[in-house]
Amino acid sequence: MARVEYKDMIDFAKVILEEFKLFEGIELVPLEIYQGMDTKPTWEFKTPMASGFYKPCTIKGDSKIEKITIGELHYMRRAKYCALNMTASDDYDLPIYACEFDESAPRVGITVDFMPTVDIAVHEEYVEKYLAPLAELWRKYRTIPGFTKEGRCLVQRRYGPWPWARETLSPYCLDGRVEEREDRSKVIEAIVEYARVWLELWEKAEPVKDPEYKQEMIMRKKTMQRYYRDKDPGGEVLKKIFGEGKHRLFVSLVF
Amino acid sequence: MGEGIKWSPYVEEMREQIDQLKISEIKEWEGHDLTPVLEFTTSQAHGGFKAYCTAKVEKIGIGNFYLNEKVHWCFCTIFPREDYDLPIFISRWEEGEKEISFLVDLMPTVDSLIDEDYRKRYLESVQPLWERYASLPGICPEESDVIRSLCSIIYTAAKVPIEKEGMRLAALAPHTEYLKSYLNFLREANPIGSDAKRKEVKRKRRALRETLRTKFFKEVMKDSMGSIMGENLTELISTILF
Repeated sequence: MARVEYKDMIDFAKVILEEFKLFEGIELVPLEIYQGMDTKPTWEFKTPMASGFYKPCTIKGDSKIEKITIGELHYMRRAKYCALNMTASDDYDLPIYACEFDESAPRVGITVDFMPTVDIAVHEEYVEKYLAPLAELWRKYRTIPGFTKEGRCLVQRRYGPWPWARETLSPYCLDGRVEEREDRSKVIEAIVEYARVWLELWEKAEPVKDPEYKQEMIMRKKTMQRYYRDKDPGGEVLKKIFGEGKHRLFVSLVF
Repeated sequence: MGEGIKWSPYVEEMREQIDQLKISEIKEWEGHDLTPVLEFTTSQAHGGFKAYCTAKVEKIGIGNFYLNEKVHWCFCTIFPREDYDLPIFISRWEEGEKEISFLVDLMPTVDSLIDEDYRKRYLESVQPLWERYASLPGICPEESDVIRSLCSIIYTAAKVPIEKEGMRLAALAPHTEYLKSYLNFLREANPIGSDAKRKEVKRKRRALRETLRTKFFKEVMKDSMGSIMGENLTELISTILF
């Protein structure tokens, strides 16, 4: 098992934005107010325990996006908790692009997925439209060592203790623990490839017209946001770092 | 039985559980005479499927067939009655000489992300089994994207390498254990209390059934079921199971 020192850990945001140029051709503009909260304290922060940034954005001239957040929390120069989240506005049924990339010396804990905003067993067409484009990538990347170990592919099992979190996942979620340095880079590639598919879907997305479907979709989306903001154990860490008051802002931007 | 292969007693073990219910055999379903599929032999396969009903259950389907004496396919499904919110029990078993591929699940009949009570009652309570079988050799996601889209958060799927004969029984354990849990839910189940929930269950059951009927065999047998069994037998097996 390769240990990766803090100084050698992946610069998540820099790699995604500058090396992979994920948003090339798209003009991101800062989202200063999110759900009534001033987001500026998250743009850059430093506390005794942590430093980093969460940068919430929207896309210039676009009404389809609720938020795009990219961020890193560096914890005591020992670990990095990184996130990329892309959430569409309530008029669109696009899945939530959610990625957590938590790097420490022994491993990266990763989840990347398109979380469906409707019950896909009922809405088969949703799978075809929004999730099936991931099928090939899912099959390619689920073989990354760590996801598959000793002949056992443990993709979609990482959130064992949290059934509510597994409920939010699509059939194409990549999640697991990856150790070796070169495999960590492959994970970044998977994150970017998934994000590119999401951005293609965003470009083509049309507003939802059926009011009943829209109501169902919004309820599911808000339920997922509530779960992650209220129940994710990472939220407890954020409370310790930022205090009760500010932690709400951080968790709301991460998910 | 294939040469040298001692096939797993899938049907016997599952029947042992199911027989604890007061079941009655169904000979006809939705206008289909099920007799031809009770026991059949084609040029490539032989086997048999039966359907049963019991209290709170619309239909139990169970059966198996041997394909060219090289692959042992087994299936078991339980569809609860429409006025119960019980999940749909589904078990698929594909046994070869060197590998067993399987899926077992309790497919939710509501949106179990939204309905936390349902999730706690029928899925989280089975989570200890899900965790136990995570250590099974060959554990993996269900390969079919279509079927995986229907599965619950506690489905167990695997491609278990048969390195020693004890592995066949080890692979069978998730099926019998999930079934035992399901039968306990069945014993305790009460009819759905609210109209809104009844409507939700009805809609999701219809969607699940439609997908399973039209796509299940295409997905798990790579479209070969029709050529192996003929269209009539395929349709009858699908009718029994879904």
